[in-house]
Order: sequence, then C-alpha cells, then structure tokens
Amino acid sequence: MKKIFIGLMGLMGRVLPLSIILGLWSCDKIEEGEYTVYDGAQVTWTTAAASLTPVQRVYVEKFTGPRCSNCPTADATLSTIHDERVVMVSINHPTGQGMPYPGQPDMRTDGGTVWDKWYGINSIPAAYINRDLSQQYLGDMSNIIGDINQALTVQPVIALEASAYGGLGEVDVVIEMQFVKDYTQPLTVTVALVEDSLVYCQLLPDNSIDSNYVHNHMLRKVATGFWGADVDASGTAGEALMGRVDFSVDSDVNLEKSHVVVFLSDKATRKVLNCVQCNIIFEVEEK
Amino acid sequence: MIKRIFTLALLAALGSTVSAQGLLGGHVTGNVQMDGQMSSADSIIGAQDVPEKLLMNARADVLYTNGDFSAGLRFELYQNPLLGFDAKYSGQGLANYFVAYNGEKLSITAGHFYEQFGSGMILRAYEDRYLGLDNALLGMNVQLRPVPGVTIKGVIGRQKIFWEYGEGLVRGIDGEVNLNSILGFMKESKFRTTLGAGFVSKYEDDEVIPSSANPEMRLNLPLNVGATSLRADLGYGNWSLQTEYVMKGQDPNAINGYVYHPGQALLLNLIYSQRGFSASVQAKRIDNMGFKSVRSQSGEMLYINYLPAITKNHTYAFLSMYPYATQVNGEQGLQADVMYKFKKGSFLGGETGLDLHLNGSVVYGLDTTVTGGAGTEGYSVNSGLGETLYGDVSVEIAKKLSKAVKYTVTYAYQVFNPVVENEPGDLHHNHIVVADVLWKVNKGHSLRFEAEWMGSDSHYDANDPAHSDRRAGDWIMGLVEWNIGTHWFLSASDQYAYNDGIGNYYNFTVGYTSGATRLQVGYGKQREGLLCIGGVCRLVPASNGLTFSLTTSF
Repeated sequence: MKKIFIGLMGLMGRVLPLSIILGLWSCDKIEEGEYTVYDGAQVTWTTAAASLTPVQRVYVEKFTGPRCSNCPTADATLSTIHDERVVMVSINHPTGQGMPYPGQPDMRTDGGTVWDKWYGINSIPAAYINRDLSQQYLGDMSNIIGDINQALTVQPVIALEASAYGGLGEVDVVIEMQFVKDYTQPLTVTVALVEDSLVYCQLLPDNSIDSNYVHNHMLRKVATGFWGADVDASGTAGEALMGRVDFSVDSDVNLEKSHVVVFLSDKATRKVLNCVQCNIIFEVEEK
Repeated sequence: MIKRIFTLALLAALGSTVSAQGLLGGHVTGNVQMDGQMSSADSIIGAQDVPEKLLMNARADVLYTNGDFSAGLRFELYQNPLLGFDAKYSGQGLANYFVAYNGEKLSITAGHFYEQFGSGMILRAYEDRYLGLDNALLGMNVQLRPVPGVTIKGVIGRQKIFWEYGEGLVRGIDGEVNLNSILGFMKESKFRTTLGAGFVSKYEDDEVIPSSANPEMRLNLPLNVGATSLRADLGYGNWSLQTEYVMKGQDPNAINGYVYHPGQALLLNLIYSQRGFSASVQAKRIDNMGFKSVRSQSGEMLYINYLPAITKNHTYAFLSMYPYATQVNGEQGLQADVMYKFKKGSFLGGETGLDLHLNGSVVYGLDTTVTGGAGTEGYSVNSGLGETLYGDVSVEIAKKLSKAVKYTVTYAYQVFNPVVENEPGDLHHNHIVVADVLWKVNKGHSLRFEAEWMGSDSHYDANDPAHSDRRAGDWIMGLVEWNIGTHWFLSASDQYAYNDGIGNYYNFTVGYTSGATRLQVGYGKQREGLLCIGGVCRLVPASNGLTFSLTTSF
C-alpha cells in the first residue's frame, strides 16, 4: 500500500506540475508594448527638388470573387476605361462568393480582407472611387464611368509619381511627391502590388464556370501597413519629398505580370488624394 | 470520407439483421425525436410568417455496446430549423459518431466526444438540443484510472460548429485525486477531500486584426492561449465546500473586444445538508473568461468552457420570463438557498407537514476602468461592485392539504437589467406570485391548476427602442392540466399582458404516451424571449401556430 501511495504521489507530483508547466509553455505571452505590430515595409523620406508636373489620377477599388456571377459584368464595364490616369485594384472578397474553387488559386489577401471589413462589404461586385464612402457602385457599375471622369477633372493637391525596380523576389519603389497646394492634415502613403493576366475559374452570369477567365489588377500584397505609412511632411505648397521602400514578394506572384500601385490618403478620413501605378523595371544582374 | 468509412464499419459490425438486442453478442439502444412547427404572422406578438409552412428538427441516436466496446452515431435533420435555431443548421446528415473502449483502468474515445474538467470553467464540451448548442470535440479522449480515486484525462480535437468544425485546435489535460481512496488513514475519515488540476490550450493560426487605437498597426496575437484550473472538493460530516479557481492567458477575441487583459474566475459553493434541512451559499467572480476555439466567433458557439450560473433556474412561466444570461466578460455574484421541512404535528407543519424553500441571488458587473480598445490591456478592475445585472428573492411553500390535494405557493421579487441581453432600457422590477394546486382525482387521473401574476414597473412601447421588450408590463396567467389515465393528457393555458404590455398567448396541448413513445401536439402563441439553461441562452422568437413532437426510444 505504501509503495502504491508513494508511486501515486510521485505520479501526481509529476502530472500536476506538468500541467502547470504545459500551461506556461503552451500559452503565448505578449509583453505589454508589443500588443500591436507594424508589419508593413518602412518608408524612408528625404527632401527633393520640386520637379513634378501635377497629374490628378483616380483610385478605383473593386471587390470581386470567383463565385460571383455578376462580377464579370462589372469587369466588362471597367475594362472599357483606357485612361492611364485610372488606377484600378481588384480585391478578392474574403468569404462567400470570394471563396476559391477547389484546386484554384486563393487570391484573398490580409490587406484586402482588412479593407473589405472596413467598407463593410456584404455583396459583390462592389466598388469605390478614391475611398469616398458616400458612393458605392454595385452590379454592372454602369454609373461608375461618369463619376470616374468627373473625379479626373479635380485639380491635384499633391503631385505623385513612382518607379519600381524588381529582381529575385524583391521590389524597390521610389516615390516622388510634391505639394501643389497647402495640405497640412496628416497623410499616409500606401504601396501595393497588383498582378494582371491571372487565369483561374470564374462563375459567369449564366452560372457556368469559365476555367480560363483572365483576372486583371488583382491585389497580391499591401507592402506598407494596410492603412499606409506616415508621410513625413509639413504640407506646404512647393514642398517635395522622395520616399523609398523595398519589400519581398511571395514566389507565387509573377512579378513580370505585376505592377506597383501607390496612393496618398488623408490619415483621418482615408480618402485618396492622388495615386499612381508603375510597371516594374527589372535590373540586369552584373556578372 | 471518414464518416462513410465509419458508418460502413459500424453497419458491418451490426450485421444485416437489425434488432434491439443480441447483435454479435452486443446491445443496441437508441432514441428518436422529431419536433415540428407551423407558424403564421401575428403583428401584435411579433411572429413572422414561415415561408416553408413546416419546420422540423429531428434526430436519431443509435448506440451499440458490446462489453467494453461501444460505438454510436447520431443522424440529425433540420429541414428547415425551428424558429430560434440558427439557419446554419439547415441540412441533414451524420452529426456525431464515435467508437470507444471503456476498460477498468483505461477509456479511449475516438470521434466525437463530450467532456468536462471540474465545473467546466476551462473545458466543457456538451450538447443541449433545446439550446441548439453542440460543441462536441472531434478527436481523441483518453482517460486513465491507474488506481481507484485517481483519474487523468487527456483530450485533443476540434470543436463542432453546426455542420463544420472550428479552425482552432483544443488540447487539454486534467488530473483528479480522491485522497480518501488512496490514503489509508483517510479511508474512514469524516474529512472528504478531492483535489484536481487541469490545463487547456487552444491553438489558432494568425490573422489580421487592426488595432482600434492605431489602425496602421495589427494585433500581435497569441496563437496559443492557455487556461489553468485548480480545484478542491472538501467535506466534513454534513458540510461540504467546493471551490475552483481558473486563470486564462491573454486571449484577445471578438467577445472581449480584442483586449489583452488576462482572465480569471473563482467559484465557491458551501453546503450544509441534513435530513429535512439544507442550506447553501454560492459565490462567483468572473473576469474576461470567454474562451473560444475561434477568436473571431461571437454568439454561443465554439465556447471551450462553460461558466456556471449562480441564479436559480426557475421553471414557472413568469419566474423564468427574465432569465439571467452569464456575462462572460465580467460579473460577480452570490446565491443563498435554504430548504426546510416543517415536520408533521409542528406549529407550521400541521397534520401533513410543510416544505419551505428560500432562495436569493444577486449579480453585479465588475467595477472597471477602461484603458483602451482593441490592441491594449483594455481595462483594469477595481475592488468595488459594478452595475446591478440581476437579483431575485423567492419564497416557496409547498403543503399537502390531504392525500389527494397538494399546493405550492411562490412569491418572488426580481430585478433585471436588459444589458445582460445587450438591450437598452432601465432596470425592470418585478413582483411575481404563483399558486399551483395538484388534485389527484382518482387513480390515474389528476388535475393541476396554476395561476400566476406578475407586476412590473416596465412598459412596452413599439416606437421606443428602449421599451420594445414584449415581456414588459403586468401579466396574469392561468393553466389547467388534465392527466387521463396513463396515456393521455390535455392542457390549456393563457398568458395575458393586461397593463402596460402587449400580447395574449393562449396554448392548447394534447399528448399521448405509450411505453417509451410520446406524441404531443400543441396549438397557440409563443412569446418572444430568451430560453436559458444554466446561464446559456437562445433567443426564441414569437410564433403562432401548430407544434408537434414525437419521441421514442428502443
């Protein structure tokens, strides 16, 4: 009996501390001050000479999904826009009609999901111009063309240009911005990677599935924080800045069919003030 | 695929001849339940039309046992779910399956299983068909009993949610030792001691959740969240004390607003019991103990743990009209309960004796200071009491007037804060009186009469969101129930809001019982409200029409 008791106490003496040890070991502890992280790429700013010609562009965010039968109709409407001043980003809705078909590529992204939740998207297709929440475009989006043209007539507050250089799964982006007018509200700059000519299944309006549907402007990565990186500027007219940011790209992204989208937003309202897209220039490796 | 293999294997084991007993030396038992509902619109009580005309929940459980081996499965059907059950239940199929070995020192279950560690505050996988709740774990459950009085449990699995499984992985270990069983000198002792400890951890993949304070930042989420329990069950003579303390690591989730404040809870239950008298005092304090296997899940599904309620689970209609729903983010409360039997021949007992039952409970929120939103510690807890959430006192007297007639009279006073149902509005103060008389007319025949009254300072106003609760106002109710022989019963009841309220809820029910089979058909109006069992609640919407239920077992 005594042996059994000693054995049992030994067993429990191991089990109980073990459960506590397991508890400490299996429970992640986040230190205070580290509850939040910025996992976007850092932008470094330097002053620059004022040399840009102001061009007002329009940022169009469209939420789509492979199981959305009306999305091809919206794609067709938006494909009639050939103005290079229109910067388009297609975001895969995270649930429901945005779910990928089995065996098909998953185009959902963390950044796209955050933006989708912020808008409160509950049906697709849906689109917004310059993150202006006052007008949502649904269905065939026949009314969006006129509003895009209207937005292009606005005089720019800030001139914005960018160039991108790629190679070995890395992209370096140079951002040039210049205040045309005073704008002293805090700004953020967002850098995103968008891929074209992606071929995967898409539900069509007649409820058939087109396995060779070509998807363009698909958001693949938000390189900065999802709500952008702070712009280190005073905001007085004439001020010019140059920002540099570099980021890595997952291997499933075809950089040769991708381009970089950069947009400036008011930090408080998140409205987009100006934007630009640029192709990626591939640097030739020196031997 | 696994389900199909399992089903085929089970059917093969059962053989081609299905009968209740004697299969391959084993034993087959089961039960079937079908509940149907038809409802049409009624704007006064808020009932909606049912487009399908007929809704049905049904289930069939089959259990095969053969010595230490058992296997079971459950088929469920929701075509479509009854009103108040989540539409995600829609469908039919195999909802539960398992195989198990249950030996003297070892038990193993593979498949779906239900389990509880201690009082359930760190782990309780359970099912309640009336709440529409089934958080069974699909995985493995191993229990070791190396010697009498010692139990060690280990579980791993994913939680069921409707027809799918949550992405979070749940692991747990629990040990319990009854010292009276393993210590020779305590075998005959009046001291009874059982000690236990458990640990549960859940793992979930990372996801992007923006910080409310700093939107360009995302939360640095703990992927492994653990909860530990220490408990003791002590007894001496007529006294017993059950206590459990649990703590939970940082667990930012949708219920707590994604804050990093750690969780903890304490449960105490002191009981004294002797022939004809019992008394108990229960105390509970909860701070941020909502523990789910999927952090973004709100509602009642995917809870890993269960936080026991310490308010009385009333059964009479008006007493249970405002049930208390446990506030997992924080509450503290007390309950006291006394039962006393006045003996025959005593001053109050008279010729037949008298039963007295007193109960009182009060629940407050925590006194907190908010320090931030998502991505912060969230709040700090002060030592005082928060807002009043719930309170009730009740006095129940039960007495036999003769061999044939027994009555029960209850008075209760309730204070109810709509915030526990996430609704706006002021505190409701309710006085309730219930009289219940049972008359055994002759052998096999009995009549039961019930009369209830509730006076409340609340009122109903369809145009004011703060007063849109259809339970508000003053109510009366009458019920007659007639049991005819051993097979039939009839009942008729009516609840009527006669002042400051709305609605007239009449119901007629007829039932027939034969052996293990029972059929019941009802017609009438169902009041909108919460159905709560043990502090866990389901919203029952108003309905107007026919209901029927068939249950049988074999």
